[in-house]
Order: sequence, then C-alpha cells, then structure tokens
Amino acid sequence: MAEASAGAPSVAPRRILVILALAAAVLIAFVAVQNLASSAVYYLTPTEAKERHVGPGTPVRLGGLVLPGTLQYDAQSRTLAFAIGDGTTNVAVVGNGAPPALLREGTGAVVEGAFAEDGTFRATSVIAKHDERYAPPSPGTTPSHRTSP
Amino acid sequence: MSWADLGGAALRAALPLAIWGCGAAAYGAAKRDGRALASSRWSALLVLVLVGLAILAMEGALVTHDFSIEYVARNNARATPLFFTVISLWAALEGSILLWTIVLAGATAYVAWRGVREMPRLATVALAVLLGMLAFFLLLVTTPAADPFVRIDPPPDGSGPNPLLQNHPLMALHPPLLYLGYVLFSVPFAYAIASLILGEGGDRWLVATRRFALVSWALLGVGIVAGSWWSYAVLGWGGYWAWDPVENAAIMPWLTATAYLHSVMVEEKRRLLRTWNLSLVITTFALTILGTFLTRSGVVNSVHAFTQSAIGPLLLGYFVAIVVLSVGLLLWRMPRLADQGGIGAPLSREAIFLFQNVVFVAATLTVLLGTLYPLIAEAISGAQLSIGRPYFDRVEVPLALALLFLMGIGPQLPWHGASRATLERQFTVPVVAAALGAAVAVVIGPSGVFAVLTYALAAFVAATVVQEFARGVRARRVLHGETAVVALASLIRRSGRRYGGYIVHLGIVVVAVAVATSQAGTVQIERTLSPTGSVQAGPYLLTLNSVRDMSEPQRELVVADLDITGGGTSGHLRPALVFYPNSTQAIGSPGIAASPRDDVYTILAAYDSRAHSWATIRVLVIPLVSWIWLGGAIVGLGAVIAALPPPRSRTRPVTVARVTAARVVEP
Repeated sequence: MAEASAGAPSVAPRRILVILALAAAVLIAFVAVQNLASSAVYYLTPTEAKERHVGPGTPVRLGGLVLPGTLQYDAQSRTLAFAIGDGTTNVAVVGNGAPPALLREGTGAVVEGAFAEDGTFRATSVIAKHDERYAPPSPGTTPSHRTSP
Repeated sequence: MSWADLGGAALRAALPLAIWGCGAAAYGAAKRDGRALASSRWSALLVLVLVGLAILAMEGALVTHDFSIEYVARNNARATPLFFTVISLWAALEGSILLWTIVLAGATAYVAWRGVREMPRLATVALAVLLGMLAFFLLLVTTPAADPFVRIDPPPDGSGPNPLLQNHPLMALHPPLLYLGYVLFSVPFAYAIASLILGEGGDRWLVATRRFALVSWALLGVGIVAGSWWSYAVLGWGGYWAWDPVENAAIMPWLTATAYLHSVMVEEKRRLLRTWNLSLVITTFALTILGTFLTRSGVVNSVHAFTQSAIGPLLLGYFVAIVVLSVGLLLWRMPRLADQGGIGAPLSREAIFLFQNVVFVAATLTVLLGTLYPLIAEAISGAQLSIGRPYFDRVEVPLALALLFLMGIGPQLPWHGASRATLERQFTVPVVAAALGAAVAVVIGPSGVFAVLTYALAAFVAATVVQEFARGVRARRVLHGETAVVALASLIRRSGRRYGGYIVHLGIVVVAVAVATSQAGTVQIERTLSPTGSVQAGPYLLTLNSVRDMSEPQRELVVADLDITGGGTSGHLRPALVFYPNSTQAIGSPGIAASPRDDVYTILAAYDSRAHSWATIRVLVIPLVSWIWLGGAIVGLGAVIAALPPPRSRTRPVTVARVTAARVVEP
C-alpha cells in the first residue's frame, strides 16, 4: 500500500468515508426494496384474477380482448365502459375519460386499476395492446408474449 | 446485379476479413510483426468500405422500392415520403444492427489508422479486440439472426414503415445518436481490455480514450433527450419519460459513463481508482450490450420492443462472454493496479467525486433492478408483474437531488482537502443563491418538497458555475488586460475541458428545473366539445372549429381544428388521429403550441365518427417543458467545448500524449 505519499490522510477520514458510503448503500437498498414491493402490479388474465381471488381495491393489471359490441363511450359524461375477456372469463370495465386512440373492439387491451365491491373493474388507465406490426392478437391468446401457467 | 446481391456479398466478404484482421492484429502485437499489423490495418479499412457498400445497397433498395428484399417490403411502401424512406434504414431490427455495424467499423478503422500511430502496441491489441467485436456483428448480419438482405417473392407494394416511426422528423436524429453513443464506447472498452491483456497497470489507455468516452457520453445523452422529445411529440400522452425498459436501457450506460468521466479525473490527477475505472468502463460497455439485448429480443414488454428473433440468444451469449472475459482479466491483473496514495479528506474533490460515483452506480443498479425485476419474478414464481413509475420516481428522484448537490460541491473543492477559509470563499455566494432559489420556488414556482429542493440546489449549482466563470474572467482581465468578452472566449478555448464541464453542469441544471416544474405544475383538462364550443385551460382559451377528415398519399387523418387565444398567444392547433394502411389502429398525433413559459399540448382523444358532431379534447398545459430540450442542447454544447483540443496542443498532440504516457509507464 502506498499510504506514505504526500498529503495522504490518516486512517480516520477514510474510515468516515467508508462508513458514509456503506450507510448510503444500505439506505438506498432499503428504499429500493421497499418501493419495489409496493410498486409491483400483477399482470393477470381475467381467469387468473378470478382464480387468485384478487380482492377489491388491490391494484392489478388485466389483459384481454375488448369484447365485440361492448365498447361504449358517453361523450358528455366522458364515461368509458367495455368488457374484456380471455375466452373463459369476462370482466366489465368502467373508466373515466376518453378511450385511447388505439382501442377497438376485438383487439387487445390492458387495463390498470382495481375491482370494485360489485365485481366491475374500475380502470385508472386503459392501454390498447399491440405488437410491432399492429396486428391484433388472435382471440383466445393471453395478453402478453408468454403464456403463464 | 441486384441490391440484395451487392449488399449480401459485401457483408459476406467483410466477415472473413474482420476475422483475419483480428488474428493478424493479435499476432502482430504478440510477435511485434509489422507486416501482420499492416495487414490488420488494411483489413479494418476494407471492412469499413464493404459495410459502407452494404449500407449504400440498402439505401438504394429502399429508395428504388426493391420489394424483393424482405426488409424493404416490411418497412417501406411506394407512398412513403423520400425522407422517411431514407431513414427506414433504422426502422427495424436488421437495419439497426447494420447501422451499429457501420459505426463500429468506422471506430475500428479510426483506431487502426490514427490510434496505432499514437501508441502502437496498446492500440494494436485494442484493434484486435475491436475487430473481434466487429466480426460478431458481421456474423449477425450474415446469418438469419439479422440478415437485412433476405429475399422474398416481391409483393406489389410494401407495407410501409412502422407508423410510429414515420410520424416525426426527430426519428432521423434519435436512433443514430443513441447508436453512435453506444458504439463509440467500444473504443475506451477495447483500450481498457488491451491494457489489461498487456498488464500495463498504468493510465495510458484512459488518457488515450478520454475524448472518445466524452464524445460517446455526449451523443448518448443528447440521443436520450432527442428520444424523450420524440416520445413527447409523437406518442401523444403528454409526457416525455415513462421509465420504459428501452429508456432504462439507454439511461443506465449513460449513468455509469457519467460516473466514469468524473472518476477519470481522479485517476489522472491523483493516480487513484484504477480498478474502479476499469470496472466502470467494462460495466458501461456491458450495459450497452445488455440494453440492446433487452430491447431487441422481446424479453421485456415495451413500446419499443421489436418482434422476437433469433438475435436474442446470440446477444445474450455475447453479453455473458464480454462480462466473463472482462471480469476474469480484471481479477487476473488486479495486483498490478495498485493505487498510488489514498483518498484525501472527506471534503476533498476526490472524495466528493468518489461519493458521486457511488450514487451514480446506485442509481444504475436500482434502475436495473426495476427493469429486470419482472423477469426475475416471472422466472421464480411464474407471475407476470410490472414495476410502475412510482418505484422509479421514489427511488431515482432523491438520488438525482443528491447528485445535483454533489455537482455543486465537487468542482469547488481542491484536491486533497479544503481549509475552512476555502470553504467560505467557495460557498458563501452559492448558499445565498440556494436560499433565494428555495424562496422563488415557494413564492411563484411549483409546490412540493422535491420541487423546492430542486430549485434550491439548481440555484446553488448555477451560482458555483457563474462564480467560476466570473473569477476566471477577472483573472484574465488582470493578467492579460483582455476585455470581458475576449477573456470569456479565451477561457472557453484554452481551458475547454474545465469550462466546457461547467457548461454541461449548467445544462443539467436547466433540465432539472424544467423536469421538476413540468412534473409538478402540469394542468390537465378533458372536455367533449361541439364545433365552436370552447374550453379554458389556464390562461388559454381553446375553441373547436371543426372535426374533419383529411387524406394524404400514405395515410388518412381525422383532424380537430382548434383555435387558441389568450396568454399572449393566438394560433391554430391540429391534434389528429392518423390511420396508416399497414395498421389496424389509429395513432394519436398531438397538437402542440410551444413557448418558453409553457406548452399547450392537445390530444384528440375521441370523436364522433358518424357525423363529426363532437370531439373529446384533452388539453395539458405543461410549464417549462421546452427547456428540457434546450438543456440537452446546452449539455451537448458543453461537451463539444470540453472535447475540442486546446489551441496549442493541436499541432503536437502525439508528443503530448507520448510524454504523458512515458511518465506513467516508466518503471
């Protein structure tokens, strides 16, 4: 070790530095892990949501197809309503605000929000789901690229 | 000969040449064989010419709409405007990898012809490393993984570029800037690896590639800002940063590269942090590859993700190979990398730089954790989940504020440590400025603790920068009798690295204030209007004139004609929904009235498709958002000033480099 070079400090300041750095690292890691747990939003199909008994108020994202004939938008009250389904289970979705430009009946959608007590899904955000070539997903597929068990 | 024949042949000829050049450079370095080295240099140049030829062939095919090439058929149509036809080179995976390859080939040829002259042995090994990496990318573009010249039975017309990519001219700027930034970092990486292979243990590699690292960092940074501007102007959601995996993939290497640019100074001035700097270079380079893998393989869901392709496993293998080999080399050579001396007092410049480095690495790791956590969770439990904005905002905003604070302190402290008198001299004015900044935020600015802190810290940093400039100008006026303007110009020209750095800091301050203000102060209103109905948003009154259909050769539009008055402006806005023939869905195109004070951002959210009797308009008034783009430009300007060689060394750069190098290496 080349501790002897000109102006090299005594051991104490270095120890302070190391302790400071470690404390910062622990603090940052703590904040990160805390927030990771609270920011994780599960991404489920309507069937999975039913099987897991996702309770009212729990933030969750649902993916499925917008069922034909269900998409309604009341322009004056700006209430958006539609149903999504995965071929087995259907869920009625209610949202506030205009539907996203890409949202169409028969195409994929991802809604984020929580179930209300009456079983309808209150969406805080509605995203139309599409891939690079904007082909709508074929009916019956799960919303993402991979099928979860 | 068709374009596909020409391009395919050029790439297939370049691959063996790159492999040959790699071997020749390695042999030349090992045996000190001049002929092998010459052969390798010519190979590097020829590879560049051949890849250039392939690029020309692809552009030729695009411009002449040669739909017998699958890439052209998928990403071009007869009606595509020429401008978007030309930039379709990077509209999809294969073309992007081709662009990557030409940039890497250019950097390799530069090292072969300029670098080798400056420090023959080190650069020759670096050349072998670069040619090896180039061979990997040539392998990608000559196999089905990313072959841009795959032929198909030509359809009568192509399907046209991805609608999102043909909606805005910024698409011409954003991807090439990012790729230049990503790829140019290969050069510092290659020199670092070369230095490890040779067991030099000194700082030559770092001095030789400092400028490359700076330019690469600046291009990456400006590319990120251009990307957020594109997202703001095209995606129609009223935001500019979403913590999307692709954005994270770009910001992570930028964060570690920023850390590196600062710790380099500690190594240059104090001969410290050698192992750390090598680790940062390796990490930054590995992150550019990891980012490309994440975004190009389809393992993460993202707006940007291209379709799944065989390139995923190859890029992952490349990433793993790079990490394993680099870390192995680093561990093997660690004994030769001992620092000369120790870090000074906690209030010394090197200590603050080190602390800043720790925060940058923490920011990188936490972004990486948030980006990869969904993958980890799915691998472990099979559950699909996403990590939303709240995580990134809550973790990264405090870290960014800490960095802002350190940015104000670090440059103001001397190396080794500061006395009480120095502290008073350096920080009296900035502390007063910080108090004023906080007061401004409380009185007229946005509310919220983080916004007030941002204003205070921004004022603090800005004051340190102004103080530095004022002192430098005053000193030159006293010593050289220059006028204030001449003194400022000569400061910037003669000490470009230092004062360019301050300008970069000023640009970051502008971005920080603009982000804090726009995040905290955005007003959003949504109304359904009938023609001639109006909505008030802040000081602005927006009136809907009509909803009408429009037709352009390559697309159809539904346009809402809005008049905007009040707040000192009057004009027209045309938010639209755009329909492309190759897309089953509409793309929202916002209408934006930009001004230094705020942007009025309008979105056509919904409309009556039968009679055009109503339209739902979403209006956002976003304060100061234009200053983000301006701040990015200031950062770029500062980086140019810092990268320009000072006037005198321009005539004898080689000698200066050699002298520095000799001093370092001599036993």
